[in-house]
Amino acid sequence: MKHLFLALTAALTIFTTLPAQGAAPVKIGFINSITGKEAQIGENLTNGATMAIDDLKARNIDVEMIREDDGGDPKNALAAYEKLVTRDRVIGVVGPYTSACANVVASRADQYQVPLLVPAAAKEEITMKGYRNVFRLNAPADVYSNVLLKSIAPFRPGTIAYIYAANDFGVSTVKTAQVNASTMGLKEVANEKYQQGQPDYRATLAKVKAAQPDLVFLVSYDADAILLMRQAKEIGLTPKAFLGAGAGYTTAQFAQLQDISSMVISATQWTDDVNWPGAADFGVRYRARFGKDPSYHAACAYEAVRIMALSALKARDSKVLRSALTAGSWNGIMGPVRFASYGGYTNQNNHPMLVQQLQAGRYETVYPAQFSKKKLIYPYRR
Amino acid sequence: MLFFQSLISGILTGGIYALAAMGMSLVFGVMNISNFAHGDLMMLGMYMAYYLFTLLNIDPFLSLVLIMPAAFVFGYAIEKTMINRVIGHPSENQILLTVGLGLIMGNTALLAFTSDPKILTTSYSSSSFNLPGDISVSIPMLLSFLVTCLLTAVLYLFLSTTRTGMALRATSQNREAAQLMGIDVSRMSAIAFGIGTLLAASAGALIAQTYYIDPFAGHTFLLKSFTICVLGGLGSVIGAGVGGIVIGVVEAMSAAYLSSEWKDVVVFVLFLAILLLRPRGLFGRKGEQ
Repeated sequence: MKHLFLALTAALTIFTTLPAQGAAPVKIGFINSITGKEAQIGENLTNGATMAIDDLKARNIDVEMIREDDGGDPKNALAAYEKLVTRDRVIGVVGPYTSACANVVASRADQYQVPLLVPAAAKEEITMKGYRNVFRLNAPADVYSNVLLKSIAPFRPGTIAYIYAANDFGVSTVKTAQVNASTMGLKEVANEKYQQGQPDYRATLAKVKAAQPDLVFLVSYDADAILLMRQAKEIGLTPKAFLGAGAGYTTAQFAQLQDISSMVISATQWTDDVNWPGAADFGVRYRARFGKDPSYHAACAYEAVRIMALSALKARDSKVLRSALTAGSWNGIMGPVRFASYGGYTNQNNHPMLVQQLQAGRYETVYPAQFSKKKLIYPYRR
Repeated sequence: MLFFQSLISGILTGGIYALAAMGMSLVFGVMNISNFAHGDLMMLGMYMAYYLFTLLNIDPFLSLVLIMPAAFVFGYAIEKTMINRVIGHPSENQILLTVGLGLIMGNTALLAFTSDPKILTTSYSSSSFNLPGDISVSIPMLLSFLVTCLLTAVLYLFLSTTRTGMALRATSQNREAAQLMGIDVSRMSAIAFGIGTLLAASAGALIAQTYYIDPFAGHTFLLKSFTICVLGGLGSVIGAGVGGIVIGVVEAMSAAYLSSEWKDVVVFVLFLAILLLRPRGLFGRKGEQ
């Protein structure tokens, strides 16, 4: 009887101590546009996030990432966030991708007290409202136009035309571009906001062509960028430079279509030829695994998930996690990361943006000087 | 110059809208069903054209010879296995079935082809020629428009001169009366859905050369097709053709003289105005519900 009691006690002891040794993995959420209009760029974010989790697993760091699809719709994004924090009980969330979705979810993060790390959404407002639980890795929209116009300023262009998607990203990017352009003394000769996904932009482009701008500043997601540039070629729109503010002008597919994409200048958050720890290696591994070039969306999703997972692992509680994100600093494939308050922003990483130009089918970093290996070619030649 | 540039772009784009809407209109006319999977059928045509070009190097215009019969058989089979079960049932059932079919097709394509948009690039994809006054005409759009005209003419001849075409029209006019006259209306429904699918897939294959291809690319054209069908008169194939051109031109003119973001507003204001003045649409039959 005594032996039986001892055996049972021993078994119970082992049983109760096992969960402590193999404690349940910490849970984080990931909201992304897996379906819908932004699914193509969303796939890059999914790939980056998957690589981050796999890399952590390879280091025996077990983090459970629960994925939710918002389809690019803000109300789905909010529902996904609420589901993650109330039902799945995650302690931190990475995402959503688009500005419209991220802006809505950010407005609820303080209510649920679960930190939200926005990897890519660029609308300034997201980190300008003083939310304590909202953090952003990438540079906001004003930096896109700022860095693009700074890179072109030495060539002294005189006029500018804007063609941009009628969404949060397009509107906020162009709004800051107008301020920067005005400071540079650029005269605005056309301003064309368009509905995404239309098959025909020729009338809009013809109107811009008639205005004869030196610069055409474009803000478009994925395939619209290709359509606009293809139709611009058809109708003979040839400014001195096409400036593409991120998103659709920074994809591998856009680069492949050399007859329409050659010499286009674009702002980007990341390239794999920049001297940030692991950036080049990430590029190599990404190509080997997914068979295509990594975009900045993949890189920022990778880094955001990595930061969130490592911080969550230490914190194991959403309030402690918030403090860890506020106080911490990291140095990975996106360069130095620290969430700080500056210039009206709260918990915003002051990320240096890059300017690249498609030269011979490759994105070459051309600005700022400390990161560039090639010179910017101006004026544009078809 | 801007006026004529917009007019030509509008007519050429409107031709594709018309082709897409004609298939939907025919299906509605014969079967009295609103096909919410129509955009996804267009998407299938886009992918067929893309893979026939990239894998077998068949020019997208020539590939129509293969796409059209394949699409007809696919549409015929869908009608026989699924759609005919909801003919005569409440419209909610029909909507749920076609929306469900669309979701299955779209998400199957997402799994099979991924969400990466595909771009069909032929040697003439970005080519154009100039008319006097520096008016540019896109060569693939012009060729697509000419093919659309040809298909419309063939459809018109088929509907007006062949026995099957006349049986289709009879079924469209009065399903019960057509059945009493000995017409196999069930077969006519399958043929109508097959032709509707053929036209949707053809429109997809034609637009694929100047648009992008992704699993949800057809959705852009679904709402337009509905608008065009109602504008032209539900069930009227001619109305769909004219309605497509009208929508294409109005969109292009709005983009040129107002703003691109206003073009949908202008289209729907015009749409409402026409419905107020002619509730049956431009070519709707008198007394039709």
